[in-house]
Parts: sequence; C-alpha cells; structure tokens
Amino acid sequence: MRLMAIVDAAVRMPGLEDLTMYRSTASVPFAGRYRLIDFTLSNVVNSGISSVGIFPTNPFVSLLDHVGMGKSWDLDRRKDGLFLLPPSQLTGGHMSVGAFAVMEEHRAFITKSRRQYVVITNCYTVSQIKYHKMLQAHIESGVDITEAVSGDISLKSYIMSRELLMELVDVYKEKRIISVEDLVNLKKKPYTYGRYEYEGYLAVIDSVQSYFHESMALLDVERWGELFLHECPIFTKVKDEPPTRYLKGSLVKRALLANGGTIEGSVTESILGRAVMVRKNAKVDHCIIMQKCVIGEGCDLSYVIADKDVHIESGVVLHGTKENPVVLRKGERVLKEEVG
Amino acid sequence: MKTEIVAMLLAGGQGSRLKSLTYNIAKPAIPFGGKYRIIDFPLSNCMHSEIHTVGVLTQYQPHVLHNYIGLGTPWDLDRRNGGVTMLTPYAAMSGIRWYDGTANAIYQNIKFLMGHDPEYVIILSGDHIYKMDYGMMLDFHKEQQADATISVIEVPWEETNRFGIMNTDENMNITEFVEKPKDAKSNLASMGVYIFNWQKLKDYLIMDNENEDSSHDFGHDIIPLMLGKGEKLVAYPYKGYWKDVGTVESLWEANMDLLNPDSGLNLHDSAWRIFSSNPQLPPQVITETGYVQESFINEGCVIEGRITKSVVFQDVYVKEGAIIEDCVIMSGVVVGNGAKLSRAIVPPSFNVPDNFEIDNPEGGIILLTDEIVEKWKGSGEHAFDGNR
Repeated sequence: MRLMAIVDAAVRMPGLEDLTMYRSTASVPFAGRYRLIDFTLSNVVNSGISSVGIFPTNPFVSLLDHVGMGKSWDLDRRKDGLFLLPPSQLTGGHMSVGAFAVMEEHRAFITKSRRQYVVITNCYTVSQIKYHKMLQAHIESGVDITEAVSGDISLKSYIMSRELLMELVDVYKEKRIISVEDLVNLKKKPYTYGRYEYEGYLAVIDSVQSYFHESMALLDVERWGELFLHECPIFTKVKDEPPTRYLKGSLVKRALLANGGTIEGSVTESILGRAVMVRKNAKVDHCIIMQKCVIGEGCDLSYVIADKDVHIESGVVLHGTKENPVVLRKGERVLKEEVG
Repeated sequence: MKTEIVAMLLAGGQGSRLKSLTYNIAKPAIPFGGKYRIIDFPLSNCMHSEIHTVGVLTQYQPHVLHNYIGLGTPWDLDRRNGGVTMLTPYAAMSGIRWYDGTANAIYQNIKFLMGHDPEYVIILSGDHIYKMDYGMMLDFHKEQQADATISVIEVPWEETNRFGIMNTDENMNITEFVEKPKDAKSNLASMGVYIFNWQKLKDYLIMDNENEDSSHDFGHDIIPLMLGKGEKLVAYPYKGYWKDVGTVESLWEANMDLLNPDSGLNLHDSAWRIFSSNPQLPPQVITETGYVQESFINEGCVIEGRITKSVVFQDVYVKEGAIIEDCVIMSGVVVGNGAKLSRAIVPPSFNVPDNFEIDNPEGGIILLTDEIVEKWKGSGEHAFDGNR
C-alpha cells in the first residue's frame, strides 16, 4: 500500500459542546457501541492502510483509553501501525482539518515514512469511503490535491503526495494557510485541485441537532445497512459484554441496542449503548441512552440524550423536542424533585 | 518468580451425544449463551483466579479450538511467562501415541509440566459451565495439607447414578470414589476439577502408566490408586451453578437457565465476567414488526419476527412473521418469513426456509439438520413432527 493516513482528531466542534465536556469530538459515542473515531479508523484499515498517525486533542484521556495501541483495528504492529501524535501545547484543538502547525511538530512521522501518498481525514464525517479507490482517482486525475465530496457536501478528506505535504509544512506560514482544509477552500496557487465523488452512507456530526438526527436515521434498517456493511466491518474496542437480555414485560420496537443491556420497560425509536438498564414500566422514546445508564422504574423520557453513566431515578418525566433534545451530562444523577 | 500453579485443561472430548453439533468441532468449542463457547468458562475462571499458565489438551477436531484460543488474548493469556499452550498428541522417539484417558493425556505432557515445575497442578475439564474461584479451592487444599483436592457438588439423590460420587468422612476426607453408583452413600459428585501437589501427581502418573490394566483415567484409576496408598484426599464443596452439557437436551436446558433469574447462572455479573473472542458486529436492531420477550439477543442481529424465551447468537436474521419460542438460535442463522420454531436448537449458519414449521408440543428438543428440512420439503411442507 502506497498510502499512509493522518487522522486529525483535534478538530473542535462548538455545536457539540454538550457532549464534549469530558472528551474530544473523536470519542463521542455514536450508533450504540462506537466512538466517532471508530468509523474513520475502520475506513482506514478497510482500505488496506497500515500506517496511521492520529492527532489527538485535549481532553484526550477518553480517546487514548479507547484507541490504546490500536489492537482492535489490527494496528498494533511492530512495523508501522498506529502513532498517537499529541500537540506539545495543551490546546483545545483547532478549527479545520489537517492543521500544519501540528504536522510541523510531528514532521518526522511524515518524513520518515516510505509511503508515497497521504490521506488526511477527520472523525466527524461518518462514511464508508474507500481511500484506495480515492487514491486511484487521485493518481488518474493528475492533480496535486484531491478532496472527497458527496454532492455538495465535503467529507473533509484529502489525498496528496507525501512530498507535497512536506513542502506545505515548510511553507504554510509564508503562504498564510493554517490547514489542508484551509488550503483546499482557498485553492492557493500554484497547486491544482480535484474532487473525488463518494457514493454511500454519509453523516456529518457537527452539532447536537445533527448528532440526534443522524442517530435516529440509523433506526431505518436500510440506512443501518448502508453504514454496517458485512464486507467492511466497523471495528471498536471490545468490552466483553454479554448479550442483551429482554425481561418479561419489555417492549422494544424500532430500536438499536448494544450488548450487556437489561430491558424490562419500553424502548421505542431509540438507541441504547452498552450495559444500559431500563427498569420496569419505564418509557424511553426517541432517546439516545449511552453506556451504563440506568433508567429507573416508571420513568417517562422522550427526546433525551443521556451521556454515559447517567442515573435517572424512578418516576422522572423528561421531554425534549426533535429540534432541542434534552442533554444529560456524563455521570449526572436525575432525581424526581429536580425535574418538577 | 516461580509458577505456583499450572492449569491443565482437558479439551479433547468429542461429545458424541451432541450429535451433529460436534461432527466438526470438539465439545469445548460448542457455542453457548448467545456469544460464548463452553471453554470460555474454565478459561475465564482461570483468569479471575489468577492462574496465568494454562495447558489446553486437544485431540478430537482441534482446529476450531486452536484457532479460537489463538494466543489467548481474550483471557489475558498472551504472556511472556506462562500463558496458554496448546498441547496435542505428538510423535516422539518412542513412537506416536494418542491421548488414551484423562490421566494419560497429562502423563504425556509431563515434560511440559516439568518445564514449569509448579507446586500445584489443577486439572480442569472443557465441558462444564460454571463460575468458580480456583484460588479459594487452592487455599482450601493448602489449609487441609492435602495431597489432592477434588471439587464436589451436591446433586439430587435420584441423579447420583449419573456421576462419579465421593464418599467422605465428617472432615471432608475422601474415603471412597464410586463411579455411577446404584446405591449411593453420598450425593457429592466430582466436578472433574482436581488440585494435586505436582510432585505427588507425577509419581502416580508414572505408576499408573506402568499398569497395563489401567484405563488411565483420573476418577477411575488415579484417585483409587492414591486412596489405596493412604494419601490425603479431600473434597472441596462447591456451591453454585454447575452443568455438564453433554447432550442436546442439557445444552438446551443450560441456555434456558440463562433466562431464568433463579437458576444461579448470571452472565451479567460484572465482577465475574466471562471473556470470549468478540466478533466486531453492529448493535442489534429490533424493527417495527419485531417483538422480543424473555430472551437473550446478541450483536449483529436484525429481528423482524417474534421471539420468546430464546437465546439468539450474533448475526442472526429473523424475518417478518417468523415465530420463535423456547429456542437456541446459533450465529449466522437466517429464519425465513413465517417460519415457526419451538423447543429447537438451530446450529450455526443454518438457513431455516420460509414457512418452515416444527410441530412439537410435548416432544424432546430438536436439533435442526438439513435432513429435517429435506423431509419437511418432501412432505409437501407440512409441519415437521418432532415426535416421529
């Protein structure tokens, strides 16, 4: 494989702040059992790429814990494999994909590689893009930089030669560009630009609203089937949770559930993460309930996003709206009196 | 640091009473509980008991097991010191010998054990479903200053004729071992879990090997031989869930036990998790037409039909109109539109045709096979009568 990958996991998403208090955008949970970065890393390995650098940003404990040495993606290699390339300053990330300042700090990762081409990508566009096909199109077109697009929407993924990337890292200050995304948007000369048209599943997660909308869209089995392709599995850190158990009296319809759950109440039009407990007579409708949440007896929830480890006491009633879902932060305890 | 204890896990059993489920895989590799294989239980027990050196003895259809266990990563057995070692019968200067009896299998691996030179050896079986802290059993063994400790479980008196029974005195010293007795004096059944002082065991394995009349079995030969020589053998009383899944019926029952909160078998206990090799599959989907009640469902499933009191493994597709009750549906199965299944085990990757039906009101447990489906097609697609 002539291609290496740089996964820019340090792009800030102001619209997602409710979910990124304790983690970077890259490790926001999505589709029940995944983090956003899983989709990018899976695309990378499903494209045959075995040399990957990740730019993490603060707070990165969650991301480091999740990605580890890259074992789940078969990237724990003696030769090549996964490299975590954190910034030397504890910044909260940057605003566009492929920041040259970070690349400059990790110039050795790029210069030492034997690969001829680089794909620079991000974690908040979820797709099933095949970078080796994009590379082929890039080479055939003869342009300097190729951008992946789907109609009018950019996947914020770019391919160029490693040589050109090294050159850009040398001259970016003088040319007054801050990132690859910036360069492609400004179409700076003398470089030539091309587009690679991607067809398939695409979700851009840049706000709580788009997060909620794209999560709910997965309840449509056809859309689910576009993202979860048998031949291109999405890899994630394994957790050894047992299968989900449905107890007597449970009612589950149009729902996506990860393993380890215990369902005794009703779950409709919702996505449940790992090891979620929905107690008796609880009603969960149009909700995203993340890992290890407990929904108490007789709760009535709709349009709620509950982050990890949220405990909702018995009898709590909480209703958000499609446009403004209620977001409960990680580890919150919700008591009946508080809601009123 | 010196290795204190080495586990020898006997995983060579065929399990012929499990019929077509074990034509191509050994019994310990049989799928169980929606995502596990039986061997996950002893391996996870070793992990929780901090036993880090495990020899897995295989003989019958070993490939699936070898591939499954690999480096032992799911059980933290991929280690520099110790870890997991697959032990198959091998050729030596003295010739080629198959494992002939449980004790003989260990005898043939004396060199492996001498290499580790542990204080103790624990013999385990890959055929049983149970959660047990072998560390507590080892503590008991040391306290009793025993030469061998055998884990026992109380079984119903009327079933004593199915087990190897230990007769003990009031201090749990074993006085006699009786295989499948007609008139049992005790209801303490051996669980096939033995701890030996390694040096003692080595001597007895050599002694037993020289006896041409021996069947080279732990229960049958080694234990009586040690008792005869006046060694101190004690019974370690285990309380909890334990099941030998030797037949299609008992495999089905053990799966159903998962659905019964009072069975004592809880896989949702995060303090004693059962570890397994995890396939990377998406979350399960229950669609608009799906209905699930009192069941276990694993990842990758798409459920459009109705499922009650069943255990469903990963990557199963239950199409609309299908009705499944009291079943074990193994991985990769497709259940066709309108198919009706009850009290059945569907083996991995099986295709249940549209409208297939089993009519089996009070019959035994049916293990679905291609022949059954062919017969159903031949009969003009009338309900297959499981009693015939």
